[in-house]
Amino acid sequence: MKIMGDGEPVEVLLVEDNPGDVRLTQEAFRVSNRAINLHVATDGVEAMDFLKRTGTKAGAPRPDLILLDLNLPKMDGREVLTHIKEDDSLKLIPTVILTTSDAESDIVKSYQLQANCYLTKPVQLEAFEGLVQSINDFWLTMVKLPKTGAK
Amino acid sequence: MAIKSADLRIQLDFGAALACLLALGIFSWHSIVVFNGNNLWVAHTHEVLDDLRDLGFSVKSIESSSGAFVLSGEESELADYRKSRASAERYAESVGYATQDNPVQQRELPTLQALLAQRIEFTDSLINLRQAGGLNAALMEIQTGNGNRISDELYAEVRKMRDVELSLLMQRTANSSRELNETKVILLLGTILGLLITTAAGWSVRRDNSRRALAEESLRAGEEQHRMDLSEVQDYSINSLDPQGRIMTWNAGAERIKGYRAEEIIGQNYSIFFLPEDIASGKPAEILRIAAANGRYQDEGMRVRKDGSRFLACATFTAMHDAAGKLRGFSKITRDLSEAKDSEAKYRGLMEAAPDAMVVVNQAGDIVLLNVQAEKKFGYRRDELLGQKVKNIIPEGFAERLAADGLRSADVALAQQIGTGIELSGRRKDGSAFPLELMLSPLESAEGILVTAAIRDISVRKAAEAELLQNVQNLNRSNQELEQFANIASHDLQEPLRMVASYTQLLARRYKGKLDADADEFIAYAVDGAGRMQRLIQDLLAYSRVASKAGSLRRISSEDALLQALQNLRGVIEDSGALVIHDPLPSVMADEIQLIQLFQNLIGNAIKYQKPGIPEVQVAASRNGANKWTFSVKDNGLGIEPQYFEKIFGMFQRLHKREEFAGTGIGLAICKKIVERHGGRITVESQIGLGSTFKFALAEGESRL
Repeated sequence: MKIMGDGEPVEVLLVEDNPGDVRLTQEAFRVSNRAINLHVATDGVEAMDFLKRTGTKAGAPRPDLILLDLNLPKMDGREVLTHIKEDDSLKLIPTVILTTSDAESDIVKSYQLQANCYLTKPVQLEAFEGLVQSINDFWLTMVKLPKTGAK
Repeated sequence: MAIKSADLRIQLDFGAALACLLALGIFSWHSIVVFNGNNLWVAHTHEVLDDLRDLGFSVKSIESSSGAFVLSGEESELADYRKSRASAERYAESVGYATQDNPVQQRELPTLQALLAQRIEFTDSLINLRQAGGLNAALMEIQTGNGNRISDELYAEVRKMRDVELSLLMQRTANSSRELNETKVILLLGTILGLLITTAAGWSVRRDNSRRALAEESLRAGEEQHRMDLSEVQDYSINSLDPQGRIMTWNAGAERIKGYRAEEIIGQNYSIFFLPEDIASGKPAEILRIAAANGRYQDEGMRVRKDGSRFLACATFTAMHDAAGKLRGFSKITRDLSEAKDSEAKYRGLMEAAPDAMVVVNQAGDIVLLNVQAEKKFGYRRDELLGQKVKNIIPEGFAERLAADGLRSADVALAQQIGTGIELSGRRKDGSAFPLELMLSPLESAEGILVTAAIRDISVRKAAEAELLQNVQNLNRSNQELEQFANIASHDLQEPLRMVASYTQLLARRYKGKLDADADEFIAYAVDGAGRMQRLIQDLLAYSRVASKAGSLRRISSEDALLQALQNLRGVIEDSGALVIHDPLPSVMADEIQLIQLFQNLIGNAIKYQKPGIPEVQVAASRNGANKWTFSVKDNGLGIEPQYFEKIFGMFQRLHKREEFAGTGIGLAICKKIVERHGGRITVESQIGLGSTFKFALAEGESRL
């Protein structure tokens, strides 16, 4: 794993089925002005392929951060989260739940499954941009993570 | 009770008088005994005195007779001497006996006897000396003076004893007379007391007698009145019979029912009212026999009037006994049942006039009477129903009730059959069914207990009930749907809304001024519309959550809730420069989150609907009754016109144009819903241009933890 320093691109996996949200997230990260490689998986199965580098994603990089929506086709975000946290090679990757749901049951369930944090998508564009900026500042800048994911 | 206690008092009075007399008698007898005793003692003393005196005389006689013998030497003198000696000895002995009760005298007695013995001895020796030695020797002996000395001592002793006896006599006489005086006084007092008690008893008896006379008089008057009342009774024949059945009294009712006048019937046997065949079978006597044996007998049967016409009578015989339990006769109360038949016509008239269908049924479940409403309701003609089973028109529930009642005693059945609001199903002649409500009332008649059933068709009511139930179900369903809608709005509507809002904003930001002016305006409307829709959804959600996300009411500090609301409004307050002041606020029973929202909405409104200037908001609470607090939120804002006081609390009700004040018109509706959920009411007082005061009440927090 590379050091997350200036100019060094970081790899972020966004698991999100709504292309509108994908684009918004891309736009928001563009504002944050960081060299970020934003990879997108549009359902849970694709996300697991990417993480395990299987199928069409054989050459995928190991992400530094996962942004995971809960409501996904094929395999939903809760299952994806379960698989990530049960896998020794993946569980150290910070996984942030980013969803529209503010239901208490979803929040509790996510943390029980070891999500690193839970965020709801704000409606206002500026608020959303602010949220993405915060993710960038905190998870990609401030937080100290192990040099390299195990294995 | 009063008489009884008076009797007791009289008995007591006489008892006391009797006891007083008895005591007097006993005392008198005792006094006489004592007095007799005293007299005996006095007599006894006199006896002793006499004896002593006689003893003295006898001693003198001894001296003189012995002296005479000495001088004459005549044997005849000697006889006198012996006689005197014997009487002297007898008197001395008598004194001894008589004074046996007196120790003083007894002590003297030996001296007396010794002196007497000496004197006699001296005299005897003197006589011997005369007989043997002659006169001179005897005279010489006399001259020694021994004899006189002994005599003097003896007399002195006798005097001494006499003195004792005399003083005793005086003492006893005094005692006796004192006791006599005391007896006189006591007898006098006792007699006065006896007289007083007897007088009191007599007075008491007199008074009691007069009272008793009054009571007896009023009793007699009551009986007289009672007899008069009975004699005036028109509806019943009331007679008394002697033990043999002879008629003793007669009243107006008897005359009316049976046609006889009192003077022609009194003294006749009551069997005169019976049918010849009943008289032949001995029924009249049999009835009295049973009544005498059982105390009471009721007979129902045909009777004959004076004019020979017959009527159905119901007669009750009650045996009457005197205090000793001996049969004194019978009271007889007779009712003319054929008159009851007349009243049936009235009853029938009433039934026909009733608005409900009415059916009269006997215990067997046969219809015996019905009205025209019943004919219409069930679609039968009258003759098709009379005598038919009620089961034909009310298949279930009614006949079963009657059958069950048939097993009970008449009284219980009467009590049980009173019923209202029994809902059953009726069947018309054409076989169609309709719901009915039954009201039952029992009717005692000559044919036994009948039941009157008032029948009301409740089809309309049933339909209304069913409709109401349906409406309630619909309402519940629509409430559920509303809740589901709120849920959808909160989650599923958020997603596309977010897309619209975010992308129109992105569009506005990136392309403003790069397209033409129209494009900028269109984009601005899109952004504004998306923003308003978002607020609308959030407010709707908040409104639905007042019910769906309600927490329980707990004792909380309303001041803390207010402070939290002010914290939430901090941005607004700072931007507007508003001044919010508040009193110390009490603890109340409330859902904290909702109370915060309530304060937040009211204070938010107070700051929002302002004229230019510094908004001022005052929050206060005042006690309202025993355990309520009335809160007020007062502002110096625009004020509200009175015609809107109610309207502003409705959903989507707005008083201002969108350009003036943004808002969804839900805020106060939420406030209203929150206050109502807390069991209160929210009101507003306001004057245009001066400001508004919103008030609501909450229950005081109970002083437990």
